[in-house]
Amino acid sequence: MANAWKIARKSNAQLPLVIVIALAIVLVLLGKAQSGLLDKARVHVTDLMAPVLQKVRAPVAGFDRFVGSIDQIFSVYEQNLKLKEENARLRQWRNAAVVLQGRVGRYQALLHAVPDPKMNAVLAQVIGRANRPFLQTMILNAGRQNHALPGQAVVDARGMIGRIYLTGQRTSWVILLTDLNSRIPVIISTSAGHGGNVQAMMTGDNSAYPTLDMVSRTVTLHEGDQVTSSGDGGLLPSGLPIGMVVSDRGGGWHVALLADPGASQDVEILNFSKPPETPPATAQLPVEAAGLKPQPLQPPAQPAPVAAAPAPAKTVSAPKPAAPETAASDAASAEDLDR
Amino acid sequence: MASLERAGSTPRPGALVVLTPLLCGLTCVFIANIPISVLGGLVVPVYFWCLVRPDLMTPAAVLTIGFGEDIMSGGPPGVWTLAFVLTYALVARQRDSFAGLSGLAAVVGFAGASAFACATAWFTVAFLAFLTPGLHLPPLAPIIGELAMTVLFYVPTALVVGWLHHRMVGASRGDI
Repeated sequence: MANAWKIARKSNAQLPLVIVIALAIVLVLLGKAQSGLLDKARVHVTDLMAPVLQKVRAPVAGFDRFVGSIDQIFSVYEQNLKLKEENARLRQWRNAAVVLQGRVGRYQALLHAVPDPKMNAVLAQVIGRANRPFLQTMILNAGRQNHALPGQAVVDARGMIGRIYLTGQRTSWVILLTDLNSRIPVIISTSAGHGGNVQAMMTGDNSAYPTLDMVSRTVTLHEGDQVTSSGDGGLLPSGLPIGMVVSDRGGGWHVALLADPGASQDVEILNFSKPPETPPATAQLPVEAAGLKPQPLQPPAQPAPVAAAPAPAKTVSAPKPAAPETAASDAASAEDLDR
Repeated sequence: MASLERAGSTPRPGALVVLTPLLCGLTCVFIANIPISVLGGLVVPVYFWCLVRPDLMTPAAVLTIGFGEDIMSGGPPGVWTLAFVLTYALVARQRDSFAGLSGLAAVVGFAGASAFACATAWFTVAFLAFLTPGLHLPPLAPIIGELAMTVLFYVPTALVVGWLHHRMVGASRGDI
């Protein structure tokens, strides 16, 4: 009987096996030559499976939340105290941010600065994670019908997660920053007094800590330096928070990401398209642009016109000496908050 | 002559029976790629039916399963296809040795086949990275983790696949 099986295998299966191995090798080489070979098929399959993935996602997310909350039950009190303290600090930061935002707006108007491009965002849910050994991707439930396009950045509440590289009608594939094929131009804000900003390339290596490449040897980085997107190439907006610099034992530099792609459930797709530049109107006076509109002159018949007359000039000249002081005090208050 | 007659009298399997291993393999591909991504055991259907009923788990079916994994996982095209097909070739060639294992030795045998599949996939990706300037070699830790999960899930997956085999297919190699 066993002999009959062996004969059957040799006569029917051996030849196809050789052909199938050859086909598999051809597929690998074709995939290398044309990386988008399977993209349409992938997107089509994902679009078809999106409802199923969405249904499966709900109980899984609930289970994850339940498991994740078990160990937190015993530390609720400590967490509550910690959150209250953090909330108080964040309120202080918010006040500082509001003041600084107003001031930056006035300075931009004074300098006729071209405003940053505005970004629309699409909220999407993570319906799948391809956490396979050679790639780090996730699938979102927003596609072309939601105006998601390849190249757009994907962020969660903490920072950048990755960017879209494939869009279907209803789903999108996101290549994570940790993926082997991920390359992001970044800016490293070095610690105060150590040389300002440094440009580098952040390269994913399928580990949790992407590598910083192309860092100038004359630059000294420090652990904890902030890493943000540089916006070079115009594909991604600049200034997206990404992570902090960490060093390895071999002297290399890596990035500890702020975002946690493994835990993110809801993310934003940033629609970054540079609109036409619209600088402020040149006819507008700087003082008006800065929100410091001069008061109208009082009629001469009114009492005490002499005292009132210099008021506009005083109002105009007042911000000039005051600006460095307030900026310095803002910086000082920011440092205080840091401490 | 007698064996030929017996072989000739073997009833032709129905379409569902023929498709069961392929559908089971594709289901494993789907399960491994849903948000519960810790599940392993993709190789189990290929390994199991290659030993039990190689006439049902054909090379074309293995190619389809590998291709399905490549599409679903979003990785470089052909990597898992090649890994599965080469593993199938290895298991088919050493079929009598693998089929003779039992107990812990059977798990070790499966671990060997899975290690071969993972190593093939890793070397294929490393080769592709070598051809692309600036790409790093893939790290070893994730593929070792994948191997560990696959071996860990072997016993429960094999039980399910075995139950499915007896329900849907019925006869194994020794029964015919």
